[in-house]
Amino acid sequence: MNDKTISSTPARNHGGGMRWLFNKKILFFATLASLIIIPIGVGDDYIYHIFITICLFAGLSTAWNIVGGYAGQLSLGHAIYYGIGAYTGMLMLNSGVSPWISMFVGAILAAGVAVAISYPCFKLHGPFYALASIAFLEVFHVISLNWVGLTGGANGVMVPLEMGWSTMIFTERLPSLVIVFGLMSFSLAVAWVIRRSKLGFQLIATRERESAARGAAIRTVHVRLYAAAISAGLTAMLGTFHGSYLTYIEPESAFNLTFSIQIVLFALVGGLGTVFGPLYGTILLVPITELARGWLGSSAIGLHGFVYGVVLILVVLFMPDGIMSLIQRYLPSSRVRRLDASVENSVDHVPLDDINKPTRPPIGEVVLKVEHLDKHFGGLHVTNDLSFDLHKGEVLGIIGPNGAGKTTVFNMISGFLRADSGSVAVLGEDGHFISPKTPGAFARSGVGRTFQIVQPFAAMTVEENIMVGAFYRFRSVEECRKAAREIASELGLNRFLDEEARNLPIGGLKRLEVARVMAMRPRILLLDEVMAGINPADLREAIELIKVIRNSGISIIAIEHVMQAVMELSDRVIVISSGEILAQGKPEEVVKNEAVIEAYLGKEASDASNE
Amino acid sequence: MELIFSLIVNGLMLGSLYAMVSVGLTLIFGITKVINFAHGEFMMIGMMLTYIITTYLGIHPYLTLVFIVPLLFVLGILVQKYLIEPLRNSDEHVQIFATVGLSIAMINLVLMIAGSDNFNTPSSGMRHTLDLGLATVLTGQVVIMLCSIFMVGGLHLFLTRTQMGRAIRATAQNRNAAQLMGINVSRINMVTFGIGIACVGIAAVLLSPLYPVNAQTGQSFVLIAFVIVVMGGLGSITGAFFAALIIGLVDSFTGFYLGSSLKGVAVFGIFLMILIFRPSGLFGKARKLAHVS
Amino acid sequence: MKYNHKFRRTVISSVVATALLGGVSASAFAEVKFGALYPLSGGLALLGEESYRGLELAVEQINANGGVQGETVVLEIGDAVDNNQAIGEARRLISREDVKAIFGTFASSRSIAASQVAEMSKVPYFELGAVADDVTERGLSYVFRTNPTAYHMAETIIDMLVDGIAPELGVDPTELRIGIIHEDSNYGSSVAKHQRAFAEEKGLNIVMEEHYPASSVDMSSIVLSLQDKDVDVVLQTSYQDDSVLFLRQANERDYRPKAIIGGGGGYSMTPTAEAVGHDVIDGVYDADFTQYNINPEFAPGIEDFVASYEEKYNESPRSGHSLINYTGALGLLRAIDAGSGFSADEIKEAVLAMDVPVGETAAGIGLKIGENNQNERASMMGMQWQDGELVTVYPEEASVADMRTSQ
Repeated sequence: MNDKTISSTPARNHGGGMRWLFNKKILFFATLASLIIIPIGVGDDYIYHIFITICLFAGLSTAWNIVGGYAGQLSLGHAIYYGIGAYTGMLMLNSGVSPWISMFVGAILAAGVAVAISYPCFKLHGPFYALASIAFLEVFHVISLNWVGLTGGANGVMVPLEMGWSTMIFTERLPSLVIVFGLMSFSLAVAWVIRRSKLGFQLIATRERESAARGAAIRTVHVRLYAAAISAGLTAMLGTFHGSYLTYIEPESAFNLTFSIQIVLFALVGGLGTVFGPLYGTILLVPITELARGWLGSSAIGLHGFVYGVVLILVVLFMPDGIMSLIQRYLPSSRVRRLDASVENSVDHVPLDDINKPTRPPIGEVVLKVEHLDKHFGGLHVTNDLSFDLHKGEVLGIIGPNGAGKTTVFNMISGFLRADSGSVAVLGEDGHFISPKTPGAFARSGVGRTFQIVQPFAAMTVEENIMVGAFYRFRSVEECRKAAREIASELGLNRFLDEEARNLPIGGLKRLEVARVMAMRPRILLLDEVMAGINPADLREAIELIKVIRNSGISIIAIEHVMQAVMELSDRVIVISSGEILAQGKPEEVVKNEAVIEAYLGKEASDASNE
Repeated sequence: MELIFSLIVNGLMLGSLYAMVSVGLTLIFGITKVINFAHGEFMMIGMMLTYIITTYLGIHPYLTLVFIVPLLFVLGILVQKYLIEPLRNSDEHVQIFATVGLSIAMINLVLMIAGSDNFNTPSSGMRHTLDLGLATVLTGQVVIMLCSIFMVGGLHLFLTRTQMGRAIRATAQNRNAAQLMGINVSRINMVTFGIGIACVGIAAVLLSPLYPVNAQTGQSFVLIAFVIVVMGGLGSITGAFFAALIIGLVDSFTGFYLGSSLKGVAVFGIFLMILIFRPSGLFGKARKLAHVS
Repeated sequence: MKYNHKFRRTVISSVVATALLGGVSASAFAEVKFGALYPLSGGLALLGEESYRGLELAVEQINANGGVQGETVVLEIGDAVDNNQAIGEARRLISREDVKAIFGTFASSRSIAASQVAEMSKVPYFELGAVADDVTERGLSYVFRTNPTAYHMAETIIDMLVDGIAPELGVDPTELRIGIIHEDSNYGSSVAKHQRAFAEEKGLNIVMEEHYPASSVDMSSIVLSLQDKDVDVVLQTSYQDDSVLFLRQANERDYRPKAIIGGGGGYSMTPTAEAVGHDVIDGVYDADFTQYNINPEFAPGIEDFVASYEEKYNESPRSGHSLINYTGALGLLRAIDAGSGFSADEIKEAVLAMDVPVGETAAGIGLKIGENNQNERASMMGMQWQDGELVTVYPEEASVADMRTSQ
């Protein structure tokens, strides 16, 4: 895992003295400017058309990327929104309304449609979402063919050729280019802002790990609906423009699957989920097709489609992260964020001296009441009438053999699983007990959890991962960033802030998991085997770390197999076996309980000593 | 009464045709978890080859099975090995686009070679009408109906009774566990993909005497095949068979009572309903599946 | 299939050769460039190319006779794959190649999109083959059409039914139960719309109207509906696949209406007849652009056209699209030749002066630009499949055979 970090580091140094020239930002603005300057310079209608096409597709791909890339929902039906925009523009223009107004009407309509069709579909993933979006596209196609009164059916809609800014129809090409360039830039700006906003982080977190995102109090459905609506709105605006540009639309071209796939293709080739990838993808592919057409003549039927298909296969096989991955690798960003070379050697070490250790406050009132939890999976009785309390500032250890139902209990007291019967009550900040139902509600009531199998948002940096946890407390991204940095430094992660989470070693990931939860400032912390799989030196540090957390007044429930940690940290231990509480009490008492030894400790104690 | 009977017979005939096309797709999906967007194009290639072999050798189209099934089996293995397998750990988007790219490339390759013409495989007696009293069917349709039943039954036996079949099922249920049990998962995936494509090869041969083929032919069938795969419960071969019959009947009845223009809305409407409300398929148990959260 | 890959190569090389020759002659003679905009790749390529051949042959003939206004005509080809591309190619032809006029386009939606560009750039746009009404009904002043349209197709079909088929069957046309079925794109719906209007005008009894996607794989429910509603005369407007599917399934379900009248597309093509079998298609009527079994006295020049087509492309014309494009292009080029200069308005003036009576072109149609810049002397021909041949049976003066009814 770490190889990636090391190998990519020297590459990033390449820029050297020329760095200022080959800077990502400069590349971007130069590209953007050339989209306007080249056609004006050449002054040829056909070149204008190609650049208008580039801007159109770049804008559409960028808009698609908000839902397809950021939110990870592979929509192959984006032509729906394009078609809605185009039809709205044409029909309203025919009744005398300028596209400048209908553009927004179309955008609102498309956003509404997007919300309506995305809401039921968001529980579908990957290929199923894609299939559903194709099905919706087909339905829209049939509707547009059959609703002759509105859409003119198969004959389509056309507008009278009244030139001017108010109709968005021009004899000369420059105004069209300026408009579509503006729309594309607007899409890019929106995509850029979203990527840097809370919404962007939440979308990517949701895409990467939906459960962890829900655990961090992200309303995963809401954020994806926002993304779908914004994406659809932008797509529709470009559709309105293109309708005026074509002066003619029909169902066949408006609600077209090939068109939808093309939009996605540019984003994929450019780099999914990157802000500028779709732009670069379009700039690369559109001229290639045009040139191929010019060189090979029009007679070679199917050739350009074949080239598209092959490019697509080659890209997924050899460059699945798209052009942006090359740009990332060979061009330095303007803000140089890098790892210290020395860090790689000392990846796992928390500088304990950095951590200030407040004295431990006394154990206080009950903050969590678990009563009579029952859960069946089919015929299996996973938890059976389970009840326990947690006190303020207490560390409660939960141990038990594999399959005893420990993680199920955690899932029930963090909202990921609904109990068949029984209740979980959390002491709210106002002093009353509340019973949250969803992961988000638990998170908001102050319960934070980690996952047994670490669930980092792999494609996000460590800092961004922690920020996701902080989002529900702060409004602004900057405040979150500040909070994330504080927590990273508390947990000894500050050296890795700009590293992508996927590059961290397992110990680092465990710590990141804790950091993300801590960023939510929970009052109750649920730790699911955070000690498993880390080496003895780190274990020591991890135990100290949890003491620090405990000393700050946070109540902790820890599922743990590592006996050293259990014995040293727990104020009280609950032993669960076959879904029931086998024993509870002080660690040293539980250890001596014969039933426990028989059921569990005999095996586990020797395991622990081996570690 | 005669009318209803005709509609039912038409629907069942069409349904078994859809079943033939969908069985391979559902097998591939169930085991490798890859939705093969190029499935229809494999069928189109199969139909093209049937046309070529039939016209060059002057043999009965059904005899081309001897060439086409092994050929498509190998083609399937190659695609799995060099295109899908390398992407096994990639993002879902990337896998989808690998097969979408393959589909675009195949359609256009055929366009480059053969143009956009229709090719008609000789019907060789398969368009002979059989009178069932209340309705008529074609010999070729009856063959398709019988073969689809044999194919579904055969695959079922293969998956439950043979060593390889068990290994395939084990892989489908838990890839990691299968690997631990010494099953070579990538080999299983290749074989599965090969069998799936070979199945669509059989469908191609049997369809050829009934339908003309051109570069776009695969596209006409593949969307319906997806509907059937999802409706039947992912990876369930018998489920897909019955789903295909249902879709055939829906197609037949809505075509008659609502008009052909709205057939699409009915079929895709049902598809969306099932995806949203019963994502495990019409016949699947309502269990938690990988594709829903 | 007559049309194969080897053949395509020949086409490509001859196109290249023509282009090269054009390039060589540029230095020696004055030349004038016109655009040729057709869908030459993608799904519409087959008939797009067939249409282009007609234009190409007309240009060769004109050049062999001294060109236009003494200048050799050079065709710049544009490929209208989709609507956006049609616009792009129209722009390229106009701005880069500086063509004086554009000829095209076969597909109506491409034509509508591309001609808007031509209109805005004030370059004459000559439609030689697209049938949708909207091509000429937008009030554009530089877009002209020489070929008959959906309107004419429907007119011919209904007239043929009322004046020819019904008397032949010995029934009053108003007693016939008529079913209209058509593919659901622009083409099928335009024709169906006019069929309905003409039928109502003649007091005919339409009992069913239905449309379907051209990519349908099963039409048995349509056949059942037709049977159920006792339809005597089926009017189908379709492409090739759906024509074949319908004729086959109707035959296999033993559905034998008194008449099937196809509208162009698949019905005129030999591969369709081969696919469904000559015994099945025998007796089926068809209205379309002029086809090749027509009275040569009504269509003077058609034999020369077929001869030069066969010489150039080594096969018989695959459909009437080449002929109608050829006829329109030849008439237009001659008219431009008679004019003075190549400015848009000079070309327009020359084309408006064009006046060829019916029965004096290779397709039999006359050429005179009338209202909406549509050729007012255009018409479709009525044909019937008889003994494996598609023969012209309507109107009388163009026919080479009598109508046959199975009764």
